[in-house]
Amino acid sequence: MSTATADKTEENTQAGAIPSFDVTVRVRRYNPEVSEEARWDEFKLTMYGTDRVLDCLHKIKWELDGSLSFRRSCAHGVCGSDAMRINGRNRLACKVLLKDLDLSKPLTIEPIKGLPCEKDLIVDMEPFFQSYREIMPFLVNVDNEPERERYQSQEDRARFDDTTKCILCAACTSSCPVFWTDGQYFGPAAIVNAHRFIFDSRDQAGDMRLEILNDKEGVWRCRTTFNCTEACPRGIEITKAIAEVKKAALTRSM
Amino acid sequence: MQVHKYDVVIVGAGGAGMRAAIESGQRARTAVLTKLYPTRSHTGAAQGGMCAALANVEEDSWEWHTFDTIKGGDYLVDQDAAEVMAKEAIEAVLDLEKMGLPFNRTPEGKIDQRRFGGHTRDHGKSPVRRACYAADRTGHMILQTLYQACIKHNVEFYNEFYVFDLVLVDTPEGRRPAGVVAYELATGELHVFQAKSVVFATGGNGKVFKTTSNAHTLTGDGMAIAFRNGLPLEDMEFVQFHPTGLAGLGILVSEAARGEGGILRNSEGERFMERYAPTIKDLAPRDIVARSMANEVREGRGCGPNKDYVLLDLTHLEPAHIDAKLPDITEFARTYLGVEPYTEPVPVFPTAHYTMGGIPTDIKGEVFENSEKTIPGLYAAGEVACVSVHGSNRLGTNSLLDINVFGKRAGIYAAEYAHGAEFLPIPDDAMEATEALLNNALSAEGSEKVGAIRKDLQDTMDLNMQVFRTEESINKALSDIAALEERYANIAIQDHGKRYNLDLLEAVELGFLLQLAKVMSVAALHRQESRGGHAREDFPKRDDENFMVHSMVYDDPSSETAGIRQETKPVIFTHYEPMERKY
Amino acid sequence: MSTPLKPQIAVPRSNDRVVNGVKYNRSGSGRSKFEMLAWLYMRLSGILLLVLVFGHLIANLIVPEGGVHAIDFGFVGGKWANPFWQVWDLALLWLAMLHGANGMRTIIDDYAERDGARFWLKLALFLATAFVILLGTLVIFTFEPCPTGADAELLASFCPAP
Repeated sequence: MSTATADKTEENTQAGAIPSFDVTVRVRRYNPEVSEEARWDEFKLTMYGTDRVLDCLHKIKWELDGSLSFRRSCAHGVCGSDAMRINGRNRLACKVLLKDLDLSKPLTIEPIKGLPCEKDLIVDMEPFFQSYREIMPFLVNVDNEPERERYQSQEDRARFDDTTKCILCAACTSSCPVFWTDGQYFGPAAIVNAHRFIFDSRDQAGDMRLEILNDKEGVWRCRTTFNCTEACPRGIEITKAIAEVKKAALTRSM
Repeated sequence: MQVHKYDVVIVGAGGAGMRAAIESGQRARTAVLTKLYPTRSHTGAAQGGMCAALANVEEDSWEWHTFDTIKGGDYLVDQDAAEVMAKEAIEAVLDLEKMGLPFNRTPEGKIDQRRFGGHTRDHGKSPVRRACYAADRTGHMILQTLYQACIKHNVEFYNEFYVFDLVLVDTPEGRRPAGVVAYELATGELHVFQAKSVVFATGGNGKVFKTTSNAHTLTGDGMAIAFRNGLPLEDMEFVQFHPTGLAGLGILVSEAARGEGGILRNSEGERFMERYAPTIKDLAPRDIVARSMANEVREGRGCGPNKDYVLLDLTHLEPAHIDAKLPDITEFARTYLGVEPYTEPVPVFPTAHYTMGGIPTDIKGEVFENSEKTIPGLYAAGEVACVSVHGSNRLGTNSLLDINVFGKRAGIYAAEYAHGAEFLPIPDDAMEATEALLNNALSAEGSEKVGAIRKDLQDTMDLNMQVFRTEESINKALSDIAALEERYANIAIQDHGKRYNLDLLEAVELGFLLQLAKVMSVAALHRQESRGGHAREDFPKRDDENFMVHSMVYDDPSSETAGIRQETKPVIFTHYEPMERKY
Repeated sequence: MSTPLKPQIAVPRSNDRVVNGVKYNRSGSGRSKFEMLAWLYMRLSGILLLVLVFGHLIANLIVPEGGVHAIDFGFVGGKWANPFWQVWDLALLWLAMLHGANGMRTIIDDYAERDGARFWLKLALFLATAFVILLGTLVIFTFEPCPTGADAELLASFCPAP
C-alpha cells in the first residue's frame, strides 16, 4: 500500500479522482498447445484504487494478452468461478481489492492447487464435483409429502445456516494439504455440504452421509489445519463444521 | 464432430434451465448444455426473495399478486400469463421447500415473508408481506437447491458446452427444431445435439450496459441465436434499471434493504421518494424509483464529490437485524466501497438489471415464430423469454418466480412434446453457420480489439439508452452501434488454440451484444411513449391508443431501420382495465 | 504435490482416473470403522498419556531424593518389583507407541504421494513399532534384577550373594 501513495500520478491528485498506481502481476501460464511446461509471465499495469485482482486479469486479457484464460462470471463473489491462488492464498479474484495487498512486490497469481490444470488459471473441476455428488447433496425425506411446507423452527433452521452459504468455488478443498497429497480426500467443501443436510431437521439421510464420510478418505483425514476456514470467501467456519460432522459420526457409532 | 441424441435438450443451467431439467429429466431423456458450471449461473446473485401469496404472515391472495404484476408492468403484461404465474407461485415456493430450500421461518416454523417493491394488499392499499426469502441470498439458495435436485434426479449436464446455433428445419407442418450445435470449451470441438424438443434458458443480455448488476457471461446468447434464425424478439426496449446498485460498480443491493426499512436520501438528507410515490414511498416499483433517483441527481441533489449518486440509509436499523436479514449486501458495501452500513449510508445508483423482453412464448413456454403461430417443440423460459409476465417493468422477486413457474412448465411441455414426436434429420449444412462464425473469428487479421469495442458499446448504451431516452439519444446509440459493427468486422483475436479459447468466445459474444444493442435501440425508437422501464423524454406520457401492444422485431436486411423490421402483437387482457399507474 | 498439469483432455472428462500419475475420482471406498477408531484412540490415549507421562516424571524425578541422579539400575529394578509400576509402564509403553505410530501413519498418508512408497514406509513403521512394543513388554514382565546363576560380578550391589 505504500507504493499506492508513492506512485500516485500527478493528474490524479485532484479532489474526487481515484488514485492510480503501478502493479506488477506475475501469472502462471500453462497451455499444452504451446508448450508442455508451465511458465511465469509478468505484466506491468496501471490500476486504480477501487480495482480488484479480477480487474488486473481483465486488463491483461483485454489489452495485452488475449490468450490468458481464466473463469469468471458474476464478479462480486457469489458465483464461485474465479477461485485462484493470489500471493499464495486461495481467494476469489473478484473479492480481493488491490489496495488491500502489498504491491511493493509483484502480485503472483496461480491456479488453485491440487486439481489438474488445463490451461492457465483453469483447472478441471470434475474431481471436486464428484466428491460433492458422492455425499448425496440433496434433501431426502421419505415421509408422505405434506400439502403445505414442512415446518421447521427458527432454531432448527439456524443450526445449518452457516453451511448453506457455500458457493462450491473449491477455495477450501484446494487449500487443504491433505487434498494436495493425492486428491483422494473428500475435502472440506464436500463435508460442508454434507453438514448442510445432516443438520437439516427435515432430512432423513444423515446416517447415510455419515457412513459415506466415515470412509478412509472421509472426515477422519481432516487434520484441523484451518486452511479451509482461512480460504473460504463466504466466511463459513468450515473446520468447525467438519468437527461437528466428526462428532455426529462418533455419536452415531457409539 | 460428435453427434448426441436426446429427447430434450435444455440450453442453459440457471434457475429456469435446471427447473425445466428436473421436470423433463423425470419424463424423457434430457441433456442440459451450459457454458458455465451450473452453480455459476447468475440466478445465484438474486437476493431479496420470491413472491407467492402464501398468506403465512398476513392476509393475501394470488389475485392481488396478479393485479400488482399487471400494474407493475404498466398494463403491457399478458394477463393470462400473469394469472398463471401468480396462481402457480404458491406451488412453486412449496416445490422448492420440499426440494430442501432453507427458507427463513416464522416463529411457528412456516416460511417467512417480507415486503417488496410494488407488492401490495388489496389492489394497492398498502405494502404486503409476500416475498418468501432466505436472508439476502434467496437466489443462491434457489440455484443450489435446483442443482441439488438435478443431482438427485441424475440429470445429465454437459458443462462448458457453448451453444452457438439452433437447428430449425422445415416440415410440412411448419418449422420445427432438430437440435443445437454446441462448442466444447475444453477441447474446441463442435458437437451436434439432435433433439425432439429444445428449451432455451440462457438468461439476459445486461452486458450491453456498462453499469450493470449482470455477470460478465450474460451476453444474450439465446436471444441472439433465435434472432439470427429468423425468430422475433419481443419488447426488447424494456430494460429494468435496479435502483440500488453500488455506486460506480453496479453490484446489486437488494430491494430487500428497503423492504426491511432502508430509506433513500438525497444530498439534503431528504427522503425524496415521499414526493414521487406518497403511498408506498421507497417500495415503489423499480422503474419509478430508478427514475426518481436519476432525476434527483439530474436536478443537482446527488451526493458525493461528483454529485452522481444518492444514499441508501440503513443506519436507523439494528445491526443485529441487518446481520440477520441482509448479511451479504452489507458485506458487499464493506468490501467494495469501504462503507460500514451500520453507521454510514451506502452510495447507490441505478444499474442495468433485467431484460423484460426476449424470445416471445405462450404460457406453455412455446416460442412464437410470428405474432400468431408458435413452434411446437421449441421452448424458452426465464430471462431469455418474454411470456410476457413482466410487461414493461418487472416487479421485484417476480424473476425468481418466472424461472420456477415457467421453467417447470417448459420442462413438462418439452418432455410431453418429445414423447409424441420423431427425431428430425439434421441437415448436412447444419454446422456451416457455426463453422463460418468460428473460422472468421479465428482467421481475422484486423487491428481492433474485442475489449475496446465492447467498452465503447457499453459506454454508448449507458449514455444513450439508460433510464431516460430521447429520439436523439437513441439515434446516437444506433449510429454508434453501426460504427462499432464496422470496427467489429475488423477485429483480431490473439488466441488461436482449441483449448479453452475464451478469447474466441468473447469475440462471438460481442457479436451477440452488438446485435442485441441494435435490436433494443430500434425497438426503443419505435415506441414513442413512456411506459414502465422505457422512459422517453420526448414522449413523457403513456399512450394506450397507439402503443398498448407488444413490439416484435425481426432480422430483415431489407428494412430501413438498421436492418430490423418492427411488428406488433396484441396484449392479452382478461379482466384488468388499464388505469393510471400511481403509488 | 504442486498443481498437476493436464496435457490431454479426455472426452467425457468425468471419466479421468489418473492425471500425471496422480489419481483422481476416488478409486474405491474403504468403509470401515478403523479410521474413526484410530481418530478416537488418538484423543483418548492422549488424555491417558498425559496422566501416565506426568505420573512417570513425578515418580522418577520429584519423589525420590536427589531427583534424576537417584535413578539407577536399582531404582528401576525396585519399581518393577511392584506390579503397580509394571502395569503403569506397560500402559505407557503400549499407548505411547501406538499413539506415535498412528501419528507417523497419518504423516505417511499425508505426505507420501505414491502407493508403493506408502506401503513400504508403513511396513517399516509397523515392524519397528511391533518390535519395540514386544521387546518392551517382554522386558517389563520378565525383568529379574538378580537372576540366579549369573556371574556375581555382573550383579547389582543389592542382590543377595549367591
